Amino acid sequence: MFRILEESGFTKVRSAVVPGFKFRKESTQNSAEAFGVKAVMMTATKP
Amino acid sequence: MTAPADSQSSLEAVLKDEIVRMYQEVADDPTKEFHFFHGREAAGLFEYESEWLDRAPEGAVASFAGVGNPHLRSNIEPGETILDLGSGAGLDAIIASWKTGPTGQVIGVDLNPAMCLKSQANAQATGSRMECREGMMENIPVADASIDLVISNGVINLSFRKRRVVEEIFRVLKPGGRISITDIVSAKQLSQSIVNDPKLWAS
Repeated sequence: MFRILEESGFTKVRSAVVPGFKFRKESTQNSAEAFGVKAVMMTATKP
Repeated sequence: MTAPADSQSSLEAVLKDEIVRMYQEVADDPTKEFHFFHGREAAGLFEYESEWLDRAPEGAVASFAGVGNPHLRSNIEPGETILDLGSGAGLDAIIASWKTGPTGQVIGVDLNPAMCLKSQANAQATGSRMECREGMMENIPVADASIDLVISNGVINLSFRKRRVVEEIFRVLKPGGRISITDIVSAKQLSQSIVNDPKLWAS
């Protein structure tokens, strides 16, 4: 997403991990971690 | 043999139905347990202010299914026009409407017309002004260069065509406009079995 935002013309692209995010079920959380799944906050500006 | 484009269109149509079904279920029966946190419990995880959650209609809070808090860095100014992409039951749009005030405007876009009606009813219950338009994020039903801020919470990851979604967001923003989005990303390519399973993808 970060790269797509920059390639689409956005500037000042920033991202940070959402610290509190997790899946309710442990099995889903484990699978998500295996794929590097995380929640992020992204901000960007249209020039 | 099905052409790849036809195959993707077909999968997208199935996925759309599954997304509508899943999030309608969250709205219809928020007491049910899902594999993701939702409602006030989720909002608390993401530092939504208690004052917002107490002030918002219970239906909007209970059906909240976001993955973060786009308001933490939204910096909304009074009078701004804000687009909530995938507005669901309306909690984020309602909070945005409080911040932009009576001189501002909040437009929600959602796949599901029933959710649009619900979010507008929730907004009206708090005296907030919010217009919800049924539509897809790959073809946002909003004029070019008309939006100051786009917020979205856990929605763009559901699209097969994320680049198209981002291009649409860019189109509707005014020059100098901005985004504050929370969403799910994956560091690894998802397996084809996940991509081809609408239930898993919609999750």
